[in-house]
Amino acid sequence: MKLRKLCRLFLLVALLPLASCNGLFEGIYDSPDDMPDGDDSGFGFVGEGSAPATSRIYIDATSYTSWIYLDFHNRKATALEIEEGEEAEPLEWDLAIHRYDAKTHSGLVLASGLKELSEAAALTSRPGGAWTADVWTTDKISIDMSHMMEGYIIYAESFYNPVLSGWLNVDTSEMPPIYTLDPQVYIVEFADGTHAALRLMDFMDKAGVKGYMTIDYIYPLAF
Amino acid sequence: MHLFRHICFSAVAFGSMSAAAVTVEPEDSIDDLFKEAGIDLEAVTVTATRTPRLLKDAPVITRLITATDMRRSDATNIGDLLQTELPGIEFSYSMNQQTSLNMQGFGGNAVLFLVDGERLAGETLDNIDYSRLNLTNLDRVEIVKGASSALYGSNAVGGVVNLISAEPRNPWELNLNARYGAHNAQRYGAQLGLRGGRVSSVTSAQFVSSDAISLKTSVSEGGDYNQVYGHHSWNIKERLVYRPIDALTLTGRLGYFFRQRDSQPSSRDRYRDFTGGLRGVWQYSRNGEIELSYGYDQYDKSDFLIASSRDVRDYSNVQHTAGARWTMTCLPQLTLTAGGDFLRDYLMSYQFEGNGSHRQITVDGYAQAEWDVTSALNLIGGLRYDYYSEARADHLSAKVGAMYKMRPFTFRASYSGGFRAPTLKEMYMNFDMANIFMIYGNPDLKSETSNNFSLSAEYARGNYNLTAAGFYNLVDNRITTAWNTSLAGQQYVNTAPLRIGGLELNAYGRWRNGFGARVSYAFTREVIRKGEPLTSSTRPHTTTLRLDWQHKWRDYSLDVALHGRVLSAVTVDEFTSLTSYEETEKVRYPAYTMWKLNINQTVWKGIGINLTVDNLLNYRPKYYYSSSPTTTGTNLAIGVTLDIDRMTR
Repeated sequence: MKLRKLCRLFLLVALLPLASCNGLFEGIYDSPDDMPDGDDSGFGFVGEGSAPATSRIYIDATSYTSWIYLDFHNRKATALEIEEGEEAEPLEWDLAIHRYDAKTHSGLVLASGLKELSEAAALTSRPGGAWTADVWTTDKISIDMSHMMEGYIIYAESFYNPVLSGWLNVDTSEMPPIYTLDPQVYIVEFADGTHAALRLMDFMDKAGVKGYMTIDYIYPLAF
Repeated sequence: MHLFRHICFSAVAFGSMSAAAVTVEPEDSIDDLFKEAGIDLEAVTVTATRTPRLLKDAPVITRLITATDMRRSDATNIGDLLQTELPGIEFSYSMNQQTSLNMQGFGGNAVLFLVDGERLAGETLDNIDYSRLNLTNLDRVEIVKGASSALYGSNAVGGVVNLISAEPRNPWELNLNARYGAHNAQRYGAQLGLRGGRVSSVTSAQFVSSDAISLKTSVSEGGDYNQVYGHHSWNIKERLVYRPIDALTLTGRLGYFFRQRDSQPSSRDRYRDFTGGLRGVWQYSRNGEIELSYGYDQYDKSDFLIASSRDVRDYSNVQHTAGARWTMTCLPQLTLTAGGDFLRDYLMSYQFEGNGSHRQITVDGYAQAEWDVTSALNLIGGLRYDYYSEARADHLSAKVGAMYKMRPFTFRASYSGGFRAPTLKEMYMNFDMANIFMIYGNPDLKSETSNNFSLSAEYARGNYNLTAAGFYNLVDNRITTAWNTSLAGQQYVNTAPLRIGGLELNAYGRWRNGFGARVSYAFTREVIRKGEPLTSSTRPHTTTLRLDWQHKWRDYSLDVALHGRVLSAVTVDEFTSLTSYEETEKVRYPAYTMWKLNINQTVWKGIGINLTVDNLLNYRPKYYYSSSPTTTGTNLAIGVTLDIDRMTR
């Protein structure tokens, strides 16, 4: 009798996993469909940042063939395609992002070395340092990677800010590349003399897809 | 009687005890010293025939790695162990530092790895996760080279590696162990064995970690990578055996594995496995038995995103396996085995369109006959039919073999068929490779096939053994990726026929003064149709050597082993462009040799102290390529193992 019970138990335990044909323990993972806090209002200027008194920008910069233009004055993000290498620009913009590349609208950028945006907010005067303007480049803005294995990449000619573009270092010396985010605060001086403090918080979306940029900022800085 | 018990014990561990086992009579006494050296021809193996056979009676040459070998090798997982013990085996890196096997011309998807006869789910770049296969609670590892699909079905194209679990021999056994080595490499393990009445249980846990290894040469100097990623892993296993009556053995097992690789500053690669199974073996008469089994294996991959603290799964392979086997000794000299399996294979992958999933059902049936025609002549024949629902493929695999003994010589000859059905990944991949190109699956792929012919001669007298084996493989329809102009991307295709031939020589011996030695040499040659590129990086010549000395005093024993590996240079055809299947260049990778000294001391009762000096000759590659050793020079590791139960006895 005891043996029969044991055999039944054996069979029951054996059949248990069949109830879950496609796997167990799904609950230990985060679903890529769940939005983390702050990301659930779509793209653009999406609301508050992770620290008090900061705001957040969340953009889809996965496309190699478009720039996302950011207008800090009007809290507006506009994506425009690079057509035949020519860039169409909106009337008003302060900063633009292509993949991980950044450029300013005749502005200057300082890598402040500050760790928190609140430290930038506490500044009482324009900090000194290597304020860097954009440079014209012909080999930075890659718009077609499909010929990489043949030894070349197609680039668009464009302005490019080498300091701000350092917020994400992509080391392609080995495959896959190593992505290293620089979490320091960058201060941007716009053409009208106003300033914004920026931090790149993440470059991936909720599922880990690269090219989704989360930027926390304070604008304008009061100095 | 001792031998008989050993056979039954080992067979239950595999779960395939044959009635033939009970007919084996002990012929020779076992020399303990010889046995400890890991060259015990009286040891039982099961992989070659699925029935227990003494090593010397296995109709196909089987290489055995014993628990003593494992201890001496200081290996953490199966990869370390196989490279130390066998020639012709190389674990290297493929893209993204994923481990890739080459066993005499056969890759990771053409060598079938089993744990107690059970398959493993999950793969990365055609290789299972070898770090799942740690060496805790193992009795032995059996390696059968050559095709074995007539017994094991798909993937047994180039060989089978079977890890056999141990059962506790005492009422209770508790082992604690720790190891520390270069690059902050740490290994901690605990194992509890219980045995009482009709129940036995083994619970084991192991933690392994290592810091990243900076290789101090840059990619710009010609290498493939600058550093080896840091990692850590957990491996927890439980195995319960219950014998409600003498004729019935029920075995249950559970396992959990977790590995994290620190490949990116912003994210971590995570790998998990959940496994479980039940097996019942009923010996319904003196001459026959029936086995029923069910196995579950789920292998997941996920990315842990540090910024958002999210753990997102993007790969899951779930396999349900049910099997039945019947073994009958019809005549004293004839053993028949027949059985069948059902496998449900579910795969969700980031490499499928929209992170989708696919399923495949596999059914098979097999039969085998082992006939001891005379005391000197053994014949074996087998046939297996496999059907794959999604690939709409079926395959019939056959094997025939003969073994003739003319003491002290044993001659073996065999033909065996191997095949590998296209996997779900190979049929349905739709993967964007970083906007550079697409990789497409191919639902019209044919199964890979292999026709394996082997001949061997073995000389065994006293504590000496010499073996020479030659093999020849006709491999067809090997599956790989190639550029497809019309798709403007890579696609899985079948390649041109390939011939792989080789030779293996083994010599080992043990002397009464405590010295032992083993030398193994493997030669491999691959030939592909003229004009086709040979992209394999199989080194033609490899040798492994071991010289050991052991001595026991009253409360102290010393076991010193020197292991060597010598690998020849290899010239490889490498594609200069992935968008052409014609442009290749020859690249030569250098020969190298690695030596390891292991000093194992046992003091008092069950306290073991293990000192290992690896890379004795301080070899450092000029640059690090995929198959170069990831050593940074001579390094030292120290380990301690405590058998708590022996201390209290």
